[in-house]
Parts: sequence; structure tokens; C-alpha cells
Amino acid sequence: MSRIYLGELEELILLMVALLNKEAYGVSIAEELRKNASRDISISAIHAVLHRLEEKGFVKSKMGGASAERGGRRKRLFSITAHGRHALEELRDTRDLIWGLITKTQAT
Amino acid sequence: MKKNATPPGWIDSLIDRLAPDEFAEEIRGDLYELFCSDLDQKGISAARRRYVFNGLGFLAKSFFWKRQPRHHTNPFTMLSSYFKMARRSLMAYKGNTVINVLGLVVGIASALVIATVIRYELSFDSFHSDADRIYRMVRCSLPELAANKRSNCRTGISYPVPDAVKAETTGLVEIVSMQYFEDVFVEVPDKSGNIVSRFREERGCVMVEPSFFKIFDFKGTGFRWIAGNPDKALEEPLSVVLTRSLAEKYFPGGNAMGMILKMEREADCKVTGIIEDLPPNTDLPFTVLVSYATLRMGRGDRMNNDWGGVNDEHHTYVKLAPGITPREMEKRIARVHQSHTPKDLYEGRHYLLQPLRDLHFDTRFNNYNGRTISRETILAITLVGLFLLLTAAINYINLATAQSVMRAKEIGLRKVMGSTRKTLVLQLFTETFVVVLIAGVIALVIAELMLINFQSLLNVTLRGFNFTDPFTLLSLLAIVLVVTLFAGIYPSMVMSGFNPVVAMKNRFATEKIGGFSLRKVLVVAQFTITQMLVVGTFLVVAQMRYFQNADMGFDKEAVVTMPLPGKADPHKFQVMEDQLRSQAFVADVAFSSTLPSGVRRNRSATDVGREDATTSKDYVVYEYQSIDPSYIDLYKIRLLAGRGIGLQDSAGENVLINKKLAQRLRLGTPEEAVGEVLKASWGKQFTVVGVIDDFYSNSMKEGADNMLLVTDPGKFDYVSVKLAIGEGQGSMQEAVKQMEKIWTAAYPEHIFSYEFFDENIRAFYVQEEKYAQLFQLFSLIFLLIGCLGLYGLITFVVNRKGKEVALRKVLGATVSNILLMFSREYVQLIVLSFLIAVPVAYYAVNSWLSNFANHITLQWWLFAVPGLLVLTIALLVVISKSMRTANANPVDKLKYE
Repeated sequence: MSRIYLGELEELILLMVALLNKEAYGVSIAEELRKNASRDISISAIHAVLHRLEEKGFVKSKMGGASAERGGRRKRLFSITAHGRHALEELRDTRDLIWGLITKTQAT
Repeated sequence: MKKNATPPGWIDSLIDRLAPDEFAEEIRGDLYELFCSDLDQKGISAARRRYVFNGLGFLAKSFFWKRQPRHHTNPFTMLSSYFKMARRSLMAYKGNTVINVLGLVVGIASALVIATVIRYELSFDSFHSDADRIYRMVRCSLPELAANKRSNCRTGISYPVPDAVKAETTGLVEIVSMQYFEDVFVEVPDKSGNIVSRFREERGCVMVEPSFFKIFDFKGTGFRWIAGNPDKALEEPLSVVLTRSLAEKYFPGGNAMGMILKMEREADCKVTGIIEDLPPNTDLPFTVLVSYATLRMGRGDRMNNDWGGVNDEHHTYVKLAPGITPREMEKRIARVHQSHTPKDLYEGRHYLLQPLRDLHFDTRFNNYNGRTISRETILAITLVGLFLLLTAAINYINLATAQSVMRAKEIGLRKVMGSTRKTLVLQLFTETFVVVLIAGVIALVIAELMLINFQSLLNVTLRGFNFTDPFTLLSLLAIVLVVTLFAGIYPSMVMSGFNPVVAMKNRFATEKIGGFSLRKVLVVAQFTITQMLVVGTFLVVAQMRYFQNADMGFDKEAVVTMPLPGKADPHKFQVMEDQLRSQAFVADVAFSSTLPSGVRRNRSATDVGREDATTSKDYVVYEYQSIDPSYIDLYKIRLLAGRGIGLQDSAGENVLINKKLAQRLRLGTPEEAVGEVLKASWGKQFTVVGVIDDFYSNSMKEGADNMLLVTDPGKFDYVSVKLAIGEGQGSMQEAVKQMEKIWTAAYPEHIFSYEFFDENIRAFYVQEEKYAQLFQLFSLIFLLIGCLGLYGLITFVVNRKGKEVALRKVLGATVSNILLMFSREYVQLIVLSFLIAVPVAYYAVNSWLSNFANHITLQWWLFAVPGLLVLTIALLVVISKSMRTANANPVDKLKYE
């Protein structure tokens, strides 16, 4: 995949997966988003995005252990793949580059 | 957390049902987690609201609906495993398997037989090209066919009509007239004219126009001309076309073409063609086809002039040109009829067109086969077949759900080991399929045997086996698939839905299984159908008994009747009578023009009025019989007043009349009627010398007729011999042989035939007798299937409740208590089904009985007896099975605890 395309929400959630590192799943991501990004995003939307990210190969998932607070159900834990990390880095680099250009032109 | 703080369940089940398997768990987990935190922060109602909102949110997402290509188990690779498992579990529960297979075999075999019979009936004359455009001309006295009386609907067409219709109308492609003959005497002469063999053709002889084969081509039935010119063979008078088997019968080993046959001792006919045998499923069952020109020759001028006279064996078929409606053609025929006949004839007689397709199914009109079957009857038989399949399937469902409790552990373990619901369903369906398939194969063999042995009962003539018949195989396949689906769906759903943990713990109690109430419903349904049939059968058989045993007004026992051929010859009669009377086994001998009753006898009717009769309305139609002095005694016909008639009355003016005719002519009491003078419409006067009691000259299905008896030896056609019953009379065969000797001495050139009078009477009820037999057969089958099912159910219940029974006994229950416990429920179910069945049976039987002038009255015990019978049989099944458990020593059951 030469061309990386990530939507805004996709990028945000991918960042959260990276942040939460192996503890990322639907509810925890939703909480982080509310706490750190002040975004209140519905759980179904988060699932949809995670699903899409997994399809694109940015994250991988495995079923975690059951816990009582979930009524004995297991959660699907997501972790970022190398490809995902690479994509984030590339996006960040692109932004940094452009921001650098912006500051340069504003400075002059 | 509060106890009722649970998320809305419907969202959960919605997600479970719709979500991809791999997501359902995590989605519900996340939803639940959110719900819990919402509960803490915002309270129960908000939490529930948000739960619904969040849950529904998933439905709007596309990933939720996307199904990943499954990389795991391809169902087809599992197939061999399914079959292996099916075999093992069927072997593990042998008893159940046998009961299941047996029930299904009986059901499927009957359904196959019924399918074959229905197909056979529906196939009648459907094979002719353009069958939709072929019609039979029929005759009605009322134009509205709705006037549904048989006497209004006749088949005979006056001889001049077809020719006139052909000549004076357009719109016909072909028209063919034919006249059918029964009991035709055929002699085969050798080259020098000596008769070498004699035959009597009871049926199959017809005089027919050559155009017959243009209308009826018997396409696809293997019909063909073996010899002769199809266009020319039936042109000339005195030519005859034979079917292959008749040609072989008359000229064994030789060539029939060009040979001579002597018909009815007068007409020498030349064989001009040989055709392949016509198929059995035609109502034109001809074997000897004589040219119609022979009939024209014999009737001469009357052929063209007699527009009024009709013979009901003279039929006319037409093939309409495309685009002509039958109604239009009927109008054209009516115009032809009107132009040739006087007003009272054309107003009182209407020629209509009956589609060939209805020939076999319209019971108002007769056909040459003498057998029609109404579409309602076909529907009823179809329903019986479907019901049979249904009860067999119900059996399977009942047993399988009952058995499922025993298999709960197996199912639980399968689930633990990773079976999905789908694979379990497939597994269970495979089992059902195997059972049904085994049953289907056995059923095919049994159906074949049944068809071969019951051909006459089922009115079916089969050509060879139909194991390989594609229709049979296809219907078997269809039946197997439908029964598999129907019988398999419920048990497999119930079983695959087990919660593995509960199942493994074996916490199922018998009653808790979901199928229990359904099972009750099914048992009731099954026994309702059974009871309907059993009650119906009982009533039909009772009616048949009534027919056979009712007093018809004469004595029918131990009478042998023989027809007298040729011209009546009083001298011959006297010789024969003396010879017969000299035999030890003969009690009485009577000569007569016909017999008192019976299917096979002469019937002649004319009309008579009082002495002062003037208009045609004053005359009454009666049946005419010519008898000799011993007739009244021999048949024990009751003389109410006056005297019998003897040979001194042979001038014919002294007559006996029956009570009904006396009443009809308002002659007062029998005593008053004696001595009255009557007048025939042609002027002859009679004096009543005696009045006899009414007797049924027709079947008991109809009422008694008006009757007038005279003595006219010139009209005698039958001799009746009353056999002396008692010790030392020799065997029946001996008696018949002696009578044959005497008869043949009188008529050396004829073929001897005789009949027992009571058999002739019984022949009235052939069709009803067949229905009764079929009913008995079917109710037996239903009862058998029902009891098999009960047996399976009770076996299961008894096995499950062994411990309970032991405990009860320890605590003081008696054997009868235990038996009562087991049978109470089934008694309730069967009584309930009886209550449902009785009104249906009552309605059906009542409408059937209303066809008959004389029938039994429906009394309560006629329903109660068969109901009790079914209940008793069912109880016997239940008790015989539960007896062993009830009698078992409780120690044996309990010591393992």
C-alpha cells in the first residue's frame, strides 16, 4: 500500500489504540477519546472504525479474558501493527513538514 | 447494583441473532460495560435508554452486516461425518429407530399408493391430441345441468342426430358415433364354416365409425396399428378390428387378418385390422371394434328417421375446430335438432357437450367403463394421503423431541467441543433424512406389493411394475424431502438450542422440555384424524351391513339364476323344469322375464293408468315383469291380497301389482285394489287379481318402484333355481354341474352361465363395498401409526420415570396407581381428540348417507363404540408398556443411588 489514507476519526482511534497499548477495546477507547480529545463518539461508530482499521491492516485483535463487569463476556483487544505505526508516523511527518513550511512562510 | 438493573433483553437477542458470530460477544460486552457505568452515573432509565440507542447504533453500521468469507468448516466436508454420526446414534437408540422407521414406512407407502392411484385416475383419456377440443354429446331433459339428477343426464344420442349434425353444421373437425355392446357372443368358424370355439365378450365390443381413430389417437400409450389400413379397416359393413390380445385369443398362433368371426350367431364379420391393446386408463375400453356400417345395415331406415328413440349405449363424440366454443356448438346442434323434430321433442330434450376431460369425473353421466370418480372423491383421497404423511411425521417429531432429553449430554458435549448451532442442525437433519430415506426405500417395496395385490380394490390396472417409473421415484423423492424437512425442523431446533451447561448437568426434567405442550397438540392432532377415520369406517361398515341384511321384500338366499338364450320356447321350458325338479338339490324352479332385483337383469318399463285415464298425466310408469306361477313362492314375495297368477292367466289381462302402484293409482287398500281394472296407454286393459308387497327391484340406495307382474311365457329370459339346503344335498359344485348338463342339453350351441342371486344383489354395492374396505384399511393404518407413536412416547416416559415409580412404590403407591399415573394423560388427550373428531365425522357420514334412500339412523352408540375401541387400544398400548415399570422391584431402581 503505497498511498496511506486515514480519516480524521480513524487516525484518532488508531492513536488511541497505540496509546492504550494492548488494553484497547471499544469501551476503553471511547473513554480515552472523551477524556483526552473531548470527543463523545458512539460505541457502534468506534466498533465500525476499529473494524475498518483491522481490514486495512493497521491494527490486529485477539479475544481477551472474560471479566465479571462485562457479564462474563470477553473483550476484543486491539493492538497497533507495525504497518499502523508506520502510517501514523508518516502522517505525523507529513504534518510536521507542512507545519514547518507554514511557520517558515509566516515568519518571513 | 439493583436487582432489576438489567439491560433490555430484546436488544441482546437482536444482536445475538443478527451480529456476525465473531462480534456478538464483544459488542454485547461493550454495551454491558457502558450500561454499568451509565447506571452508576445517570440511573437506570437513562442507562437503559442509552443501551437501546447504542445497540441500535450498530444496526446502522455496514460492518455489522458484512459477513467475512468463512474459512472454517465447509459443510460438505462434514457430510460424511454427519452420516457416520447419524448411523451411530440411530444404532444407539435401536428401538426408537425401528418405531420411527415403521411409522414412516406405513405412512410413505400409503402415500405412494395413493399418489399412484390418483395419477392413474387423472390420466384417463388425457393422452389424446387436442383432448381439450374433444367433447361428448350428452342428452338432458332440462337445459340447466345444475338440475343434478342422474335421470336428467343421459348419454344416448338418437341415431339420426350425428349424421344431421355432421351434414348441417360447421365448426366440427370430426364426429364419431359408436354403440357399445355387453355380453356379445363370438364364434370362430374354421374354413368350412364349422364352429371351432365360442366366446362371450362381457365387455369391449363396439360398433364404431372409422373416424374414431382420427379423434382418439391414444398418443404416447404405445398404441399402433399392427395390421390393416387405419383409414379403410372400419369402412365396410361386417368388418371387425381386433386388439392384439383378442386376436391371439380367437386365433391362437395364427394370423387373424382376413379371418371370419361370427358375431351374435348371425353376422359373419371379417377381420380387417389388428391394433395394439388400448391402455387401461381409457373410458373407451374397446377390444372388438365392428364397423358402424354394420349397425346402419342392421337398422336400415330407422337409422335416419327415428329422432325420438334413444339407446344410452349409443354415444357421439365431436372434435371442435379451434376457436369454436362448446356453447356455440351446442346452439348449432340445437338448431339442427329443432329443424327435424316436433315441438314437444325439441323442448324436452337438449343435446349438450361434455368435455372429454370430465368424462371420468362427472358422476352424473355414465361411460363405457361404468365407473366414474368425482373430483371430490379424488380430493378426499388426496387428503387422506397427506394426513397419513402428516401423522407419520408427527410420530417422528414426538419421538425425536422426547428422545432429545436422553441426548442432551451428547448435544451439550458437541457444543463444548465447538459445534455451532448450524452444524448441529445439519447433523440432526441428516439423522432425520437417513431415517426417512430408509423408510422411503422400504415403503417403495411395500407400495409396490400393495398396488399389485389391491388392483381391483383400488380400481387400478397397472402395466408391469413401477419401481422404475420416474413419477413414482420423483414423488418418493419429494415425499422424503418434505417429510425430512417437516419432521426434522422442530426436533433439530429444540436440540440444537440446548444450553450446553444445563444439558451437561442433565437437569432436564421430562416436562421442562420445550416440546412438551407441542407434543400434546401433535398427539391430539394425530388421534383426531385417526378417530375421524375410525368412526367414519364404523358407520360405513354399519351401513354396508344394513344394505346386505335389510329385508328387500324377497328371499335372496340359495337361488341360482341362469339366462335362457335364444327365442323363448315353452316346450323347452317344460322339459327343463321337469329335469331340474327331478334333481334332489332343487327345491323350486321359476321362469321369468327378469329377476326381482340385482345389477345384471333385464329391465323394462312402460306406463299404466286407471280405467278412466285420459291424458298422459294419468299414466304411471311401472316396471314390467313376466313371471310363472312359482316365482312369487320361490322368491317369497309377500302376497297382500287376492291370489297369485298362474298359467291360466297367460293371455296377459290378469295382473299382480305392488302396493306402491296401487297407492300411486289411488286404488285404496290392497283388498280394495283386487278386481280393479287398469288401462295401458296403448289401450290394453288389465284386471288386478292380486296385490304384492313392495320389494326393492333396485338397490336399497333407491326406493321401491311401481311394479306390475303378468304371465307371458313368450318373454321368459331367466330360470331361477332354489336350492334345497340341508343334509346330504351334495356339494354346490355338483349341483352347478348338474344344472349345466340340463341347460346345455337344452341349448347345445350356447355358453352356459349362472349366477348366485345374492351375489347379483351384492353387486349393487360394489363401489360402497370398496369404500368400506378402503376405509377399514386406512383406519387400520392410521391406528397403527398412532399406536406406534404412543408406544414410543410411553416407552420414553416409562424409562425416564423409573426412579420416580420406585419412590412412589416405596411410599405406598400400588401398581394400579402407577398405571393410572401413566395413562391419565393419554386418556385425556384421546378423549379430547374424540370430541374434536366426532362433529367432523358426523358431518361427513351424514352427507354420505343422505345419498341413499334407505340408511341407518345415526345414533350415539355408533360414535361411542369406535371411540371406546380406539381408547381401549391406545390404553392397552400404554398399559402394556408401563406394566413392567410399574411391577418392577423398587430396590433394583434405587440401589444405585
